[in-house]
Amino acid sequence: MNGALLAIDIEKRLDPIRLEVRLEAGQEILVLFGPSGAGKTSTLNAVAGLLAPEAGEIRLGSELLFRRRRPGEPVNVPARRRGIGYVFQSYALFPHLSAWENVGYALARKRGGRGRIAELLEQMGLTHLAGRYPHELSGGQQQRVAIARALAGEPRLLLLDEPFAALDAAVRDQLQGDLRRLQAERGLTVLYVTHRLEDAFAVGHRLAVIREGRVEQAGSLEEVFRQPSSRQVASILGLRNLFQARVVRAGAEALLLDWDGLLLEALPQPAAGPTVTAYIRPEDVKVLYPDRPLMDAVRHNQVEARILERRLQANLQTLLVGLPNGRTLEVGFPLRLYASLRLAPGDSVRLAVRKEGVVVLRPPALGRETRP
Amino acid sequence: MSPIRWHPALLSILVTGAAALLILILGLALAVPLARRRFPGRTAVETLIALPLVLPPSVVGYYLLRLLGRGGPLADWLGLRLLFTPAAAVAAATVVGLPLMVQAAQAALSGVDPALENAARTLGSSEAELFFRITLPLARRGILAGWVLGAARALGEFGATLMVAGNIPGRTQTLPLAIYDAVQNRRYDQATRLVLIVTAIAFLALYLIRRLELPVRPGPRREQ
Repeated sequence: MNGALLAIDIEKRLDPIRLEVRLEAGQEILVLFGPSGAGKTSTLNAVAGLLAPEAGEIRLGSELLFRRRRPGEPVNVPARRRGIGYVFQSYALFPHLSAWENVGYALARKRGGRGRIAELLEQMGLTHLAGRYPHELSGGQQQRVAIARALAGEPRLLLLDEPFAALDAAVRDQLQGDLRRLQAERGLTVLYVTHRLEDAFAVGHRLAVIREGRVEQAGSLEEVFRQPSSRQVASILGLRNLFQARVVRAGAEALLLDWDGLLLEALPQPAAGPTVTAYIRPEDVKVLYPDRPLMDAVRHNQVEARILERRLQANLQTLLVGLPNGRTLEVGFPLRLYASLRLAPGDSVRLAVRKEGVVVLRPPALGRETRP
Repeated sequence: MSPIRWHPALLSILVTGAAALLILILGLALAVPLARRRFPGRTAVETLIALPLVLPPSVVGYYLLRLLGRGGPLADWLGLRLLFTPAAAVAAATVVGLPLMVQAAQAALSGVDPALENAARTLGSSEAELFFRITLPLARRGILAGWVLGAARALGEFGATLMVAGNIPGRTQTLPLAIYDAVQNRRYDQATRLVLIVTAIAFLALYLIRRLELPVRPGPRREQ
């Protein structure tokens, strides 16, 4: 069921980076995540047949779509024969055609085309808008037309490039739900390009972190987040409180780290070598009430700190604190928490770092990529 | 008042019509590769096509004379005797009208978002199909505007026509030549009428272009 349907292995020089992507995807939504300019869109274009790599192979199911400078005959199936649905970043709806005609573009001379168009429009809730032109539709409606159009040819593989970037939150939530439903119903393989982590979490089954043309890490969302393979991946994922530490003791019951003089106890986890890169999740740092007994979970890693800065976001509060070892630490918690504490810049505060919150990055040698 | 001599007007319409057809076909054939492909010498080709816009009509006429006349490739290789026939007038009108068409069509074709063409490719269109279903409809206004402008220029062609087609009343005398002839012979009534006809046609052509160049709006809504 979850065998690799799509296998990509491509190389291409793209000023200023070099694209060298190796990826596999099954019947799932694989999110290609990374900063802009990392080569995500170029990867989609290569799969779709709109960009010819200099070398490599692309397979979809049993069909070879592309091969160059690899053992065997060179192959380059033209885009029009690849049978891949592509939802472009700015939708790329045909402005001179109505919603109906856009969705029906690929079905122009097919038998049963009209019924199929009507069915797709209905599935996407667009029936009443069939006669409208793209400029008469809202962003969300345009996006639905673009998805319906891409599905018209019954593709096995659907490519989406930043599909919901320009939409407001409510519309985005709904479309993301629709996408997951479509994927499950049709057993599609979906490549979903985004630079927004929220999108990755909302739709993705697996995540591939792409940086400067390479897949830095691929795996389940959970896995990539719990165990980023490198500092770069962690920083692309927006992880806070990265630090280098010396391994004091790596035992079966705990891992003890020395962060420039601050001893931290972590859950047992593999640590490659005497020094490791680790991070502390801001939400796993607890503020201790001076007058209350300590609960078990926060008995470890207590430290006295000084508040440097306090930031308020929609429903999150962030403290930047100075630690005794001279480093700063970011602490995050819901806005309503610790309401009885003053927590003003300059105040001293007692913190406890939960053992679960100290995560050692898994070095690439211990396995860069997890196959589906 | 002398009776109106209709022959120059009819001849002008025929010559302009034939030239307009050639301008459309040749113009698109040149504009499409210029808009879609980068190739060495592209700028040189563009410049060459634009040259009749700035060269004196006598220079354009002279080139055509050598091309169409005795010793030229068309006469010697193909055995065509075109000089001082209406066909020579068509050739002159085409050469001067073509650059306007090519420039406008090239700009309109380049203005079509490549993402739309890519979308059509992923939806199963061949290059020819997407050209007729996407590119051409979207570039339609610019192409039409360039075509009308080129045809209007063809209608007004004088100098080169004089050199290759001559000024034979009832045979190769087009409207602009007939006006010149009328003035030379002090038939001012005749000149005035012909001038008004030409002015009316030119006004209509330019008016049409203005309407075509209005901001792009989709066609009327169609019921499905």
